[in-house]
Amino acid sequence: MSVEEKMTSNFLLVVTEEAFLDLKVKNINFLFPIKGLSVGFLKTFAIEDIPIDGAYLYINRILDTEAICILKEILTKLDEKTIGLCFTDLGVLQIVKGLGLSLKLIYMQNHNATNVDSINYYLDDVDSVLVSTDITKEEMISILDGAKKPLVIPYFMLADAMYSRRTLLTNFQEEFALEKKSIETLHENMAGLDFLGIENEYGTVLYAKKYIDYRFFTHPNIAYSFINPLGLDKKNLEKVLDGKSALEISNTGFLYQKTYYRLKEE
Amino acid sequence: MDKVELLAPAGDLERLKIAYHYGADAVYCSGKKYGLRANASNFTLEELKSATNIAHSLGKKLYVTVNILFHEEEVEGLDTYLKNLDKIGVDAIIASDILVIKKAKEMHLSFEVHVSTQASILNSEAALFYKNLGVTRLVLAREAHLNDIQEIKKRTNLDLECFVHGAMCTSFSGRCVLSNHCTNRDANRGGCAQICRWTFSIDSVDTPYSMTPKDLNLIEYISRMIDAGVNSFKVEGRMRGIYYIATVILVYRRVLDKILMHKLSNAEVKYYLDVLNRVANRESTPQFIDGLPSKEEQYFLGRDEVSNQDFLGLVLQYDKKNKMATIEQRNYFKLGDVVEFFGPHLETFSYKIEKIYDENGDAIGIANHPKMIIKLKVNTTLEKFDMMRIKVFDKQDYM
Repeated sequence: MSVEEKMTSNFLLVVTEEAFLDLKVKNINFLFPIKGLSVGFLKTFAIEDIPIDGAYLYINRILDTEAICILKEILTKLDEKTIGLCFTDLGVLQIVKGLGLSLKLIYMQNHNATNVDSINYYLDDVDSVLVSTDITKEEMISILDGAKKPLVIPYFMLADAMYSRRTLLTNFQEEFALEKKSIETLHENMAGLDFLGIENEYGTVLYAKKYIDYRFFTHPNIAYSFINPLGLDKKNLEKVLDGKSALEISNTGFLYQKTYYRLKEE
Repeated sequence: MDKVELLAPAGDLERLKIAYHYGADAVYCSGKKYGLRANASNFTLEELKSATNIAHSLGKKLYVTVNILFHEEEVEGLDTYLKNLDKIGVDAIIASDILVIKKAKEMHLSFEVHVSTQASILNSEAALFYKNLGVTRLVLAREAHLNDIQEIKKRTNLDLECFVHGAMCTSFSGRCVLSNHCTNRDANRGGCAQICRWTFSIDSVDTPYSMTPKDLNLIEYISRMIDAGVNSFKVEGRMRGIYYIATVILVYRRVLDKILMHKLSNAEVKYYLDVLNRVANRESTPQFIDGLPSKEEQYFLGRDEVSNQDFLGLVLQYDKKNKMATIEQRNYFKLGDVVEFFGPHLETFSYKIEKIYDENGDAIGIANHPKMIIKLKVNTTLEKFDMMRIKVFDKQDYM
């Protein structure tokens, strides 16, 4: 598929900058991190502040009892501007089913969607699932081949490497009387990797700092190509969407790098 | 009040026997496949059969973790493995991946399905989702607050299991792949390299960045957790040794029993806290049960751990006629040392070592070889699996 053809794909873009709403790209769907219900973003949106029709809401917090109350309140306020929810906590699914809401549902627990059987079970209840960034290209193809509905695939994104309920940046800054910052780059010296830490009152997310770039990957069973452009400005995002090289800031994640877990064979 | 269970970890059959002996009502362990401690010794199917027989002969239970997140290559073989566990007669599996939960139900297997803490359940709606899949128990996220527990119980009436003691992940369990990135070892298939216990650096800050949590210790909250609806109190540590398991399980056994009899005093809690803190290699705190952990609940200078050498010997047998205990040495001790014996059917007591005999009955002055067999004359009756440790605390001092 050429870049031009690829540009006609449906994109699902996390709105990390309001300026992205002016992008002149076809078939782009905007996903808004929701205030009180999302983690790992510096900018979140109250429902009433979402300026466009056809929005997806991003609820990627693991929800406690209090957050469930916030969510229920938000769901009662939704109008036709919202077309769907992308969520991590299965409690969201339970609530939406219970309320009988007509919304597109996309299950987005990145680390959980690593085999086609599990994904097909989730697809009994949702419209689509985000395929994990933790798998190889062969695994990705096998999943897309076998999935009973079109899936969301990583396209260009910062991939979450860790999500903690703890306020890990604040704790460190308080311990050493440092300036308060909600975003920080952590260098891991042994592996030589950088992680971007973003904290809000609901926890801390560490992203692998290089963007995962799967823009070359194609398959007929794709519902949306997912973009988390956290850290990119509009100009750089446009370059990404134009198919320009992003070698310096990206890699192919685990697509060609199989992970293992036994140190010795039994 | 529902039945309350003490649930212990076991990395092999020896530790499993110790756990039951010291008062665990149930033990969880992993087979050679599909568990999140891929590099522990774990149990063959034959050993799982033995473990199940041991459990059932004692009127206790055995749960097997099948809690990895499956990739395509692991899926084949799962059906057979689940059938084998069913045939063995394990009481429950602990699963995280929806694939395992659904399969177990579709195959009409007789064991219960418990949802692993890897599923990060903190609210009653997620709990209901899993209840609708037919599971009978939820292992809640370690981040659960007492209010969350109470609400989940109220709305689901499912069995609830909570970790009460042991190591913590920095992240929500299952929501971390730092190990995949830094070492190529898949954390969610049992290969976690504990990257969160490494140190990092931050530009323009001289101090190394660390996010290592202290351990979990909920001994002061057990009573409130029972009131909130917790059925099973779970100790972490399938990689831990027999001394740790014996000490921790015995403490929680005694605390649970005393709470149920309304006889637990604050002084005893203080004593047990000291015993627990002594056996651990990190400090411990209540973590999330009553609020968000602050900077006091973590370390900032990387791994801050101490090796515990309090475990002096394991009682192998006791000759009642001659009052002679045969003991396998575990750490150095010598004549004149004041030690103590403890065991599940024993009130912990002090003992001054006045004579040590080797296997041949010859008097010796020190026990300095690992696992050497020695004999001590002890007037109080001991039993197999009782243990001897350095005396640090005297319970009487707390009363």
